[in-house]
Amino acid sequence: MDMLLSSPSFAFIQVLNSISLGMNLFIIAAGLSLIFGVLRVINFAHGVFYMFGAYIMYSVTKEFHMNFFWGVIAAAIGLAVIAVLIERGLFQWLYDKEHLMQLLLTFAIVLIMGDLAKIIWGTDQLSVSYPESLSGATNLGFTFYPSYRLMLCIVGPLIFLGLWFLIEKTRWGRLTRAATQDMEMLAALGVNVPVIYVTIFLIGSALAGVGGSLAAPINSPTPGMDATIIVECFVIVIIGGLGSLWGSFVGALIYGFVFNFGSVIVPNWQDVFAFLLLMAVLLIRPWGLFGKPEREGH
Amino acid sequence: MKSILRASVAAAFILAAGANTVISEVKIGVLYPIAGTGAVYGTPAMHGHNMAVDEVNAAGGIMGQKVVTFARDTKLNPAAAAAAAKELITKEDVDVLVGGLSSAVGLAISEVARQEGVVYIATIPKTIQMTTNKLHKYVFRTSSHTDFEGDAIAQIVKKLGKKSICDIQLDYAYGHDLAAGIEKGLARHAPNVKKLIDLRSKLGATDYNAQITQILGSGCEVVTSGLWGSHFVNFAQQAKPFGLFDRVTYVSGGEIASHEIAGKMGKDYPDNVISNTYELWYDHSFPGHKKFQADLAKRSGKKETAMWPVLAYIGVKFIEAAGNKAGSMDADKFAAALEGMTIKTPVGDRTIDPKTHQANTGQFWGPMVKKSGVDYRVMSPVTFYPAKLD
Repeated sequence: MDMLLSSPSFAFIQVLNSISLGMNLFIIAAGLSLIFGVLRVINFAHGVFYMFGAYIMYSVTKEFHMNFFWGVIAAAIGLAVIAVLIERGLFQWLYDKEHLMQLLLTFAIVLIMGDLAKIIWGTDQLSVSYPESLSGATNLGFTFYPSYRLMLCIVGPLIFLGLWFLIEKTRWGRLTRAATQDMEMLAALGVNVPVIYVTIFLIGSALAGVGGSLAAPINSPTPGMDATIIVECFVIVIIGGLGSLWGSFVGALIYGFVFNFGSVIVPNWQDVFAFLLLMAVLLIRPWGLFGKPEREGH
Repeated sequence: MKSILRASVAAAFILAAGANTVISEVKIGVLYPIAGTGAVYGTPAMHGHNMAVDEVNAAGGIMGQKVVTFARDTKLNPAAAAAAAKELITKEDVDVLVGGLSSAVGLAISEVARQEGVVYIATIPKTIQMTTNKLHKYVFRTSSHTDFEGDAIAQIVKKLGKKSICDIQLDYAYGHDLAAGIEKGLARHAPNVKKLIDLRSKLGATDYNAQITQILGSGCEVVTSGLWGSHFVNFAQQAKPFGLFDRVTYVSGGEIASHEIAGKMGKDYPDNVISNTYELWYDHSFPGHKKFQADLAKRSGKKETAMWPVLAYIGVKFIEAAGNKAGSMDADKFAAALEGMTIKTPVGDRTIDPKTHQANTGQFWGPMVKKSGVDYRVMSPVTFYPAKLD
């Protein structure tokens, strides 16, 4: 706390810490929120998708000795393929069933993919190196800050802009938004709704993969890493509003700031603040800061 | 007629044996995290356990009885571990419990052992409470504990000749107890060393940036810690770009000098780390280690073996020695046999203190340095810190 007040550069570094943590989480949470927004599926397997992204990064860079960039691409493609298989093979049969069935299915995927990861990558905690060019610190004039973290501060907003453009400014995005409103009407108008569904699931899952691959140098790929991230993602999307892109973005930033400044100001209570905020949102505005209340009978 | 007589005498003996419930096998209930996050440690631990059981059986078993193992997953969760321990005792009728990983799990199993009157040998948990305020007549520990570990850290800080430390620990039993162990050790060895800040991270934490920047801001010369496993990997990866390891010496418990950490981190392992381990596959300071390591390498299929197996291995070897000495698996007789018992292990002799039920388990400590020809770090020089507090 003293340091925060006495040293502006220390305070500024905490701001950057908050943004970089928030942006890494945003990439993952945005996928979860996107899938819920259109498919109305709360995908518990999103965390395990993230874990696969991190493991794929490990394989690409450490086992195949390829460039970090290819690790990100491979994670995105790998998760896109997994997503198509899961959506076409499993989810599509459950859209008209109860939510509970979908939840149970996603939970089964968590367990199966978790074991699969152990078979493929073993149970050790692995480590992924930073890409050579981002392994050091950048001179910001008055202080140094890890280059990799700065990259996350830039990549997060770029992904946000890309998604925003896709959803708000393209014809395909308009159809997607229409699908969230009235899927049957859209189908009656001749739009191929299943294609929209599988594409959304693919993009959302690929985001989890990209998020996992980008987190890998900071968070060592290890069994069970999915459990932590899924909780953080849920906190973010509930604060921000499930299904809202803006919600995920602002929710992730809020989480980053609350977590980091909480750690500095009241070190032993670092997790409490995010959950207090979550509770407040659930009590006062259960649909989240940027979400919309569910319509009656939906 | 003679053969009928012989047969009926034999039958009578068999019946009598049944009536006397002579044990036909010794049942060990073993508890490690086998699935999920903890499998990182549980899987190699099971290698060591099974290797020891095979050795015991090859040598004729315990009291001439075959040893069988009933393994259960603790899921790194105290409640799950307690339930599994209860089930092993009531359903499988095990004679003794062994294992446990994480202090909280160890204490949970210990409590079941106390209630059920079954001996529990803790092979990995380190919290000091297990052999002090939560000690009971059926719990024994063959791993080290936080006071020994904290004392070694204090001795190293003294040797470094530094004046200030920052302490960062995980926010649960082990972290709190290690912090206390370091403070007690500093009071003994280096009372002039100042602790500038005390930091806590939750168990399973993945982001350490706030703590890293606070350490840098405080200007301490040494960081003492007990961040283990992936906690350390994450902390190190996040701290390196801040230049933390160029500015402080990182003296840590939590066995981050073990080869499973050093091997997997490879060239990502940071500079200026001094840490501990129970065993090093490349260090044959103690007799019998070479053979142990070779057998383990064969069993686990890799030359560079992990550290956890030796702990599980030693637990089984104590069961063997105590069972044979007591001539019974009765909990009271078995516990009495363990008190004051000494056995030879691949990492030195181990004696269980009859009062505290704690084995004198020392550890290897040293700086982790680069070695030509391999892409992982090794401990050099290796110093064995015996388990004593003085």
